[in-house]
Amino acid sequence: MIDAIKIRVLQGDPIIHDVRNVQMPPLYRGHPVIADKPCAAGCTTCADACPVQAISLNPVSVDMGRCVFCPVCEENCPEKIIHFTGNYHVACSSREQLVVTAATKAVTPEAASKKIKNYFGKSLKLRQISAGGCNGCELELNALSNVNFDMGRYGIEFVASPRHADGVVITGPITQNMTRAAEICFEAVPNPKIIILTGACAISGGIFKSSNALEREFLNRHTPNLYIPGCPPHPLTFINALLEWLGK
Amino acid sequence: MTQIQMQNNQPFDLDSIIYLKSGAFQKAVLDELAEGSRMIAFTPVNRNNPRQVACVFFNANISSIVLIGADLTGDDFRYESFANAYPHTNYFECELAEMYGCIPVNHPWLRPVRKQNVTSGNVPYKFFKLGGDEVHEVAVGPIHAGVIEPGHFRFQCHGELVYNLEISLGYQYRGVEELIVKSNPVQRIILAESIAGDTAIGHTLAHCNAVEALTQSRLGLRAEVIRMIAAEIERVAMHLAGLGGVANDIGFALPASSYGRLRTLAINSLALLCGSRFGRGLFVYGGTRFDATPEIVQKIIGNLLEVQHDVRKINEYFFSSVGTSSRLEETGTVETAVAKNIGMIGLAARASGLEEDVRVLFPYGAYRYNPVPMLTLATGDVFARTRLRAMEIEESLRLILEQLENLPDGEICAGSNAWPVNTGVVSIVEGWRGEIVHMACTGVNGELVQYKIKDPSFNNWYGLGMALRETPISDFPLCNKSFDLSYAGHDL
Repeated sequence: MIDAIKIRVLQGDPIIHDVRNVQMPPLYRGHPVIADKPCAAGCTTCADACPVQAISLNPVSVDMGRCVFCPVCEENCPEKIIHFTGNYHVACSSREQLVVTAATKAVTPEAASKKIKNYFGKSLKLRQISAGGCNGCELELNALSNVNFDMGRYGIEFVASPRHADGVVITGPITQNMTRAAEICFEAVPNPKIIILTGACAISGGIFKSSNALEREFLNRHTPNLYIPGCPPHPLTFINALLEWLGK
Repeated sequence: MTQIQMQNNQPFDLDSIIYLKSGAFQKAVLDELAEGSRMIAFTPVNRNNPRQVACVFFNANISSIVLIGADLTGDDFRYESFANAYPHTNYFECELAEMYGCIPVNHPWLRPVRKQNVTSGNVPYKFFKLGGDEVHEVAVGPIHAGVIEPGHFRFQCHGELVYNLEISLGYQYRGVEELIVKSNPVQRIILAESIAGDTAIGHTLAHCNAVEALTQSRLGLRAEVIRMIAAEIERVAMHLAGLGGVANDIGFALPASSYGRLRTLAINSLALLCGSRFGRGLFVYGGTRFDATPEIVQKIIGNLLEVQHDVRKINEYFFSSVGTSSRLEETGTVETAVAKNIGMIGLAARASGLEEDVRVLFPYGAYRYNPVPMLTLATGDVFARTRLRAMEIEESLRLILEQLENLPDGEICAGSNAWPVNTGVVSIVEGWRGEIVHMACTGVNGELVQYKIKDPSFNNWYGLGMALRETPISDFPLCNKSFDLSYAGHDL
């Protein structure tokens, strides 16, 4: 018993009390900002270098739904137009909103409908579906229930059965081999239900977009409610996405 | 000499491969296997030419990688299976059959590797089935009761006891190997980071080593050491996750949460180094993208000293508990002979008493100057796989802290030459699970024509199947966690 207490004392107070304002490590790459100044004439360096075709030119925009938050564009831009900030609040509630332009300083998901808030505002249970995920997103989602992030304190938890869930969290680019299982799982969730796409792969196919082993029809049949960009998204990005969306 | 012998990361001329015909190929491979060599790849050297294949071995006796070529055209893409005499080769043969249609004749158990329910030639595959009274089958997955990757497990049980576990994977198949061949260099590194997201550093290190060997990039010692530190932090972080998982699976909440907290400290150290908690973005060809500044080094040392101090206390508490011993000891045992026979590698093999650690057997990068000990345990049970994690954390932390306090000076990124034509290379790295093999081959214009990846999970999934034999089915989660294998790394 005394040993257990010693171990508990060692634990200290590891929880992040204010999840909204955390100072990220200096090299962390979050929300990109685009300087409102012209590119060098004819320059296409950033768009050419981007491994996931996330950048459009004239004017410059970055699609966070595709972005894997590598620093290649920032490194290569001769005018230093693109810069990744430490802002980890990057989730959106529509696909278009994920495209960052020079006018975008910060994003926040539009508030969920009154119905959704009524149903899920106090307690939200989620079933995760890994559909080709590399285990990066999965590890970060698992980290949400550790003593540092403790998402359970907001009434948001992952559950084992889709029957107990209010929605699904999809990670990975959705492989052919997982498409049927993903559909069955989603069907098993009682209505009303939500879909959260987590990570560049789920949102856009990410680095696997051109693979012929994918089958993303699921997303034509069902409309996601929340997009959480990143490769993988930081646990704090996930928590804040839900808090902002549910107006908590 | 019909075979090519080479070292880890030593390029070889593809034109020097002698492609043996059936009889000579059989003999050469059986001779090699008789020496105790272990197969690490069985693949065409050019994706577009599946009739010429290379069989690659890890020969610990002569500390070399051995490559034997075969031309299967005359034999209608058939060869006599090696798996009846050397079971560990069986899964490599299944993979070659599935991907390139080369059929192993008399194969004991030709089964799908990544495709669903069909073997090569679209023959429907039937799961192994046990008959008899009071026998029942339990099918689980692909989606499991947790935030975890998908896979399908079929247990043939008699009451509580599992007689046979068949593991059917492939749900994560994304075509990584083909994408790497088709992609540009920037994309390739991101793909390598995404082979198995929990081993981003291990796989990216293997990939960079292969590319740098081909392009004759000579890394500075500082870059090599930073890479080694990153790889060891990944090992510490994932072993802490594994310990936490085992503690959680036996319902021991306090160590489970404590290990989880320490893992956060470890992966946040990686974020200090490169911005990503998994080490993404750290690697570029020729070195590292970011330097370990004195400020970053001090912060990482602070984090890791805390991990080192706390993990010792938590280990003492966790491993001295009677409950821990009674749940872990003699659970899910893989005997040494079985582990050897089925070609287990890495942590799970070392826990079964096999001396399998690439850092010791085939040192690469900074491990050439900083030897690590070969840590093994004999019992091969869940306890051994768990205890070995604790031992390796201690050893890795020692190495990391020693290196951080004495970082060599120098450049962090070296230049490289053009890609050579018709050249191959085999790069082996010890990831936290075990041996990662990447094999790259270039064509007549110096373009990539083949990229073969082997995650340690490819070898070890069958080990989990063996661990479950005669074990209560309720111990499956615990056994599974003690192996902690990758689905994405296996499926590619």
